[in-house]
Amino acid sequence: MILKEKIKTDAGLQYVVDHLEIMSSVGRRTLLSRPWLTNPSDLETEYDNIAAAVEVTKDETKRHAYNDLRHRLMELHDLSGTFNNLASHTVLDEVELFETKSFTHVVNQARRAAAELGLDDILQLPDLGEPFALLDPDHTGIANFYIYDSYDERLTPIRHELRSQQSLLASLSQNDENYTPTAQRISDLLAAQNELQNAICRDLSDKLFAHHDKLVTAMEQMGYADILLAEAELTINWNLCRPTIGESSEFAMLVNPRLRERNEKAGLRYQPIDVAFSDGVTLITGANMAGKTVLLKSIATAQAMAQFGMYVPTSKAVITIVDDIYCSIGDEQDEMNGLSSFASEIIKISRAIELTTQSRLLVLIDEPARTTNPIEGKAIVQSLISIMESRPSPTMITTHYSQLGSNCNRLRVRGFVESMVNVPINPQNINRFIDYSLIPDQSDEVPQEALRIASILGCNTDLVELASRCVCQNEGLD
Amino acid sequence: MPFVKDILNYRSLAIVGLDKNTGKTVCLNYLLRRLNQLKATTGVTSIGVDGEQTDAVFATAKPEITLYEGMMFNTSELHYRKRQLLSEILAVDEQRTSLGQLVTAKALTCGKVLLSGAATTERLKKQIQLFHSMGVSLAIVDGALSRLSLASPTVTEAMILATGAAVSPNIKNLIARTKYTCRLIGLPEVSRELKQQLNTIESGLWAIDDNGLAHDLNIASVFLIGEHTESLFRYGTTLFVSGAVSDRLLRILASQPNAGRIRLIARDFTKLFVSPEAFADYTRTGATIEVIQQSRLVAVCLNPTSPKGYRLNSEEACKALSDALELPVYDVMRPDSVKIP
Repeated sequence: MILKEKIKTDAGLQYVVDHLEIMSSVGRRTLLSRPWLTNPSDLETEYDNIAAAVEVTKDETKRHAYNDLRHRLMELHDLSGTFNNLASHTVLDEVELFETKSFTHVVNQARRAAAELGLDDILQLPDLGEPFALLDPDHTGIANFYIYDSYDERLTPIRHELRSQQSLLASLSQNDENYTPTAQRISDLLAAQNELQNAICRDLSDKLFAHHDKLVTAMEQMGYADILLAEAELTINWNLCRPTIGESSEFAMLVNPRLRERNEKAGLRYQPIDVAFSDGVTLITGANMAGKTVLLKSIATAQAMAQFGMYVPTSKAVITIVDDIYCSIGDEQDEMNGLSSFASEIIKISRAIELTTQSRLLVLIDEPARTTNPIEGKAIVQSLISIMESRPSPTMITTHYSQLGSNCNRLRVRGFVESMVNVPINPQNINRFIDYSLIPDQSDEVPQEALRIASILGCNTDLVELASRCVCQNEGLD
Repeated sequence: MPFVKDILNYRSLAIVGLDKNTGKTVCLNYLLRRLNQLKATTGVTSIGVDGEQTDAVFATAKPEITLYEGMMFNTSELHYRKRQLLSEILAVDEQRTSLGQLVTAKALTCGKVLLSGAATTERLKKQIQLFHSMGVSLAIVDGALSRLSLASPTVTEAMILATGAAVSPNIKNLIARTKYTCRLIGLPEVSRELKQQLNTIESGLWAIDDNGLAHDLNIASVFLIGEHTESLFRYGTTLFVSGAVSDRLLRILASQPNAGRIRLIARDFTKLFVSPEAFADYTRTGATIEVIQQSRLVAVCLNPTSPKGYRLNSEEACKALSDALELPVYDVMRPDSVKIP
């Protein structure tokens, strides 16, 4: 699985990727084809590299070299087409040779900047001095290019004459008797020049072929450098945290960057959450509007960031490595459109059960079986918990069902806090009076706050009062 | 043309033709020759595809552009390969056009090139900046006045308009059409603040309130404006059209009871696809048109011959045009016939 696939189903991750300030198209391409990492040592290497890049980014004494490197990345062009031509022994034309020269120039400068920054070991940019020299026979040291006279001594006299004939032609009117012969001579000279130039292009392409692998590596490593610097910037700007790899997961002050920005824009407060979970089922309960769905999405984004080798939006993070994240979250885009919400959900749940027999997944299921009758619905949830409890995959399930009769780990969102209320409540400010933090919950009951929240939201009073009476009657019956 | 020295006071110049075969390329070639004599560092590019070897419509010979040693030019990969001079590549734009990447190079000998270039205003602006960063003192754009072109030549500081017998063999007609285009080119530019604000708007019909703030009128197309006339003026009578301004729009506006107070803002004169009649009816009410981007018209060039074989009396035509436009008018075939004072 690669990042490009994962961002299609994780809007939070897409948001993160959109905020990485990648300079080059090569960098963007490399980023999107990043693999999901499961090997701890691969992940640690990525985290180490970010740590080094963060240090360099913060170091004011290295600002100059840092800016230089970023500038080179801006100049980087994607030459994969040209390098493919080179690999297949297609002769590069003058424009491609210029692009190659310009590329080697950029890489060589980036290499110097990387060495100054002490990032040379990490970036491993190859020395492209030789291919540059091939394309710079006059030792100009700059990226400009044409088929220089020094490639073939026969070029000089042709061009010398061409220059004078061109000047002559420019001074002649089209009616002048010398005009046509001069134009003809120029055309002959250009043909002779082109023949020599083509031979030189062939020869240069042959010689550059020997450097093909180095050029390709350089492009990949430049792409990596682009990502690494962007990750370091994001790590600093968002105050991201290096994950520790462990047996179970623990996120302290977990943030959902996308929601945080939305809240900040709307002038609303954003509350980071502490959450911990391990293999087996963690059941999350809480009133409506208490942020259970957001919590699952935040966990999914943080886990994905960690496994794509990034730092995570927490103040402390221990992650357990999984093969993939499997989500069944209600309001997400569903490729199984056309099915009822129950049908598409139950198919997803059943798939999660099958997949966890073969791989270790982080399974996130939001309010399973909520769209069917509560008797069977509750039974489905009870069975799901009992099956997933024994799987070596951490599973988080949110629910409104009580008395599920399971001993699994239970967390409850603290929810609506009366004591926080100091002004009249309305749908716009209700968010201020909800404590989104999670507390361990031993009871098998779920909070019954639906009617209170409905009433705060200005719901029809007849409905709320009647419903409250029904609740009392039903409880009496029980 | 005595104005060549004056042109050097500008950093960028567009040459636009009122019609095909109005001598735009002849004018450009003349200008390049003079700029070479004046040792001005010049960069040349074109809008979209231009500089075809033969005119696509009438198949008349279309001279290529002659560059001189040291001049810079920007053209597509395809046309770069066909150049008839020695040149050094300085930059290649990563973005591709239908004719390949855009190559910026410096002529090492004099010779002919075919020009093609940026197809959008944004890229054209960037190319002009690139030329300036490479030490060019005058960036010239071989422009086009066409619905087909997305890039507008008005991004340049100065402009030369090419007109001629190809527009109309009847001198009165020719003067009327040229004068009308000159009037559109000369439409006043909005304030700098408004310009900055409106430049960020990409589509739709907007109203600008008394505090200078733009509001989207949420009318999907100006063609639907007839159904929204009652809400059109809810923020006042200053309107901004981000796209094309048509006769229909002007006619609807002219028929409003408050027409005399309407101030219509267009992006630039190339977005006005408006007949002289509709324009006259609109302005007669007292309503005005302004633009975000104005380019200063410095001269008009006249091609007295038309591809169909008509030939105007050059001296008479130049004089009549010059009197009507109150601008210098030059015959491109005899550019130095007017003596430098």
